[in-house]
Amino acid sequence: MEVVTETNRKSTKNIKKSPSPWAIARRKFMKNKLAMISLVFLIIIILTAIIGPLVTKHDIVRVDFMNMSKEPSADHWFGTDTNGRDVFARMLFGARTSLMIGLSAMFFITLIGTIVGSIAGYNGGKIDQLLMRFTDFILNFPFMIFVIVLNTILVGKVSGVWTLIIVISLLSWGGVARIVRSRILAEKENEYILAAKSIGTKPSKIIIKHLLPNVSSTIIVQATLIMAVMIVAESGLSFLGFGVPSDTPSWGNMLAEARDSDVLRNKTWMWVPPATAITLTILSINFIGEGLKDALNPKSRR
Amino acid sequence: MLQYSLRRILGMIPLLLLTSFVVFSLAKLMPGDPFGGEIDPSNTDPQYIEEMREKLGYNDPIHVQYWRWVTDFVQGDFGKSTAHKMDVSKLIAQKIPNTLFLAVVSLVFTYIFSFLMGMYAGRKPYTLGDNLIAGYNYLALAIPSFVAGIVAIYFFSFQLGLFPFSGSVKVGLEPGTWEYYQSRFHHVLLPALVLGLMGTASYTQFLRNDIIENSRKDFVRTARAKGTKESKIYNKHILRNSIIPLVTFLGFDIATLIGGAVITETIFTYPGIGQLFLESVNSRDYAVMMTITMLLSFLTLFGNLVADLLYGIVDPRIRLD
Repeated sequence: MEVVTETNRKSTKNIKKSPSPWAIARRKFMKNKLAMISLVFLIIIILTAIIGPLVTKHDIVRVDFMNMSKEPSADHWFGTDTNGRDVFARMLFGARTSLMIGLSAMFFITLIGTIVGSIAGYNGGKIDQLLMRFTDFILNFPFMIFVIVLNTILVGKVSGVWTLIIVISLLSWGGVARIVRSRILAEKENEYILAAKSIGTKPSKIIIKHLLPNVSSTIIVQATLIMAVMIVAESGLSFLGFGVPSDTPSWGNMLAEARDSDVLRNKTWMWVPPATAITLTILSINFIGEGLKDALNPKSRR
Repeated sequence: MLQYSLRRILGMIPLLLLTSFVVFSLAKLMPGDPFGGEIDPSNTDPQYIEEMREKLGYNDPIHVQYWRWVTDFVQGDFGKSTAHKMDVSKLIAQKIPNTLFLAVVSLVFTYIFSFLMGMYAGRKPYTLGDNLIAGYNYLALAIPSFVAGIVAIYFFSFQLGLFPFSGSVKVGLEPGTWEYYQSRFHHVLLPALVLGLMGTASYTQFLRNDIIENSRKDFVRTARAKGTKESKIYNKHILRNSIIPLVTFLGFDIATLIGGAVITETIFTYPGIGQLFLESVNSRDYAVMMTITMLLSFLTLFGNLVADLLYGIVDPRIRLD
């Protein structure tokens, strides 16, 4: 008797539990092989960026005239660059810089974009007009040009990497603001918002507690893609010599060595590792973004 | 339509004024004197420097200086380049044909390749070829243009020796001769191919999806029922409908290509606007820097305007007011 009741209780428990939207999304994401491989790859990159610099014994700052432009060897796995610094060690530190810029820029851009977009979308009318005109204004700046100009002004005033993070964040939140606004505009027409308003909920609470959770899937997907774009922007700017300061190792700074045609032609070990790292990281982030988009979209059947 | 266009063009004026204000403030914030280059650096006599500053109007109140710059700018007087010792307008006129040439050739490549790929993928969706095309576009989207440029130079210029790796024309050729134009085209080919092939993703994806969507519509069924050849249905009936919306991408491309010129021209050491801009920032050549920034802002605005207007022309169902 006892055994039977035990199984009965178990089965009722199983029936009761229906998966939450997040659980469905997670299951869909886990089934997406490409996205999962990318996620594992990205986690490995992040872990090496955190742990790697603690393990390596090479000095990445000191210029070593004895070891300039050495080919890969047991001592220097990826060789040394034109200043005699170990390329492999610089790759590890560079991963730190590039990922940190990507992540922080993603955070700030999503934050500013979400705040502006949700306020504009929720309030409508004059406030919406004003904020959106301002957004258009920001979006009309040619990104690269203004980042370079702003960076030249701020360099030296704010410490190193943060100059770049602030500048690229201030110039790129426009897209997120537009998307969030349009999603909020559609979402606020629902009855539950009317109900919340009619019982006197504060606007800030309606936005944070009711509206944002419902548009969060869009924001998450956007944030992922923005991270990829920002890593590209950072490495592109550093490649030009207008990104992070040249003594801070970043993948873009390392790639900048390839501007010298002798390095590009004969010393491939200096630029192939950062080029590969950037490409693979961007690719994996994009795949994760696509996977998230699929997983969070209730209409997609995959 | 005309009224809308006029209103949009007039709407650009306040935006341009605001931009000019931002550009001017930024130039003022830059380290060093914006007009310092016109003062003879070998003469360190404080009185001389003060005199020159007075003469160049550097001691005037900010708003007077701004107004002078804007009015000169509107009249086509962009100031003098301190590094090149010549008028900025002449300097830019020298460089901009290179940038535009590169932009146009790379756009042509983008159109050709994305057109072919999009047509194939749209006609045979979910096949091996379609997946390969999708995979290629994924890669092209993920690889930053400067990485692609470096790799292309390494393989095609250095390993295979097919293309020159710097400059816009071979030194010592007489302008106007056949060899001159040939050499220019040869120099622009590699950067244009790289840029063109990297930019196909959005076009291909759009064309593919639009063709698939259109192929399920009634007019296609009618055409099939009448016994029209499959190739004719795809190449004539569907393509005509699918290709029109692509026109709107052109506006955005103008802005991206010209803005992206900074990176491309650095990799290929191609003498254009982008290279001139970096050079002017490095040498604190403010007149050049401000003019290029204004020019590119204007082109971005213009590109967006073109995109919006084309959108209305192409799809009359879209209400423009």
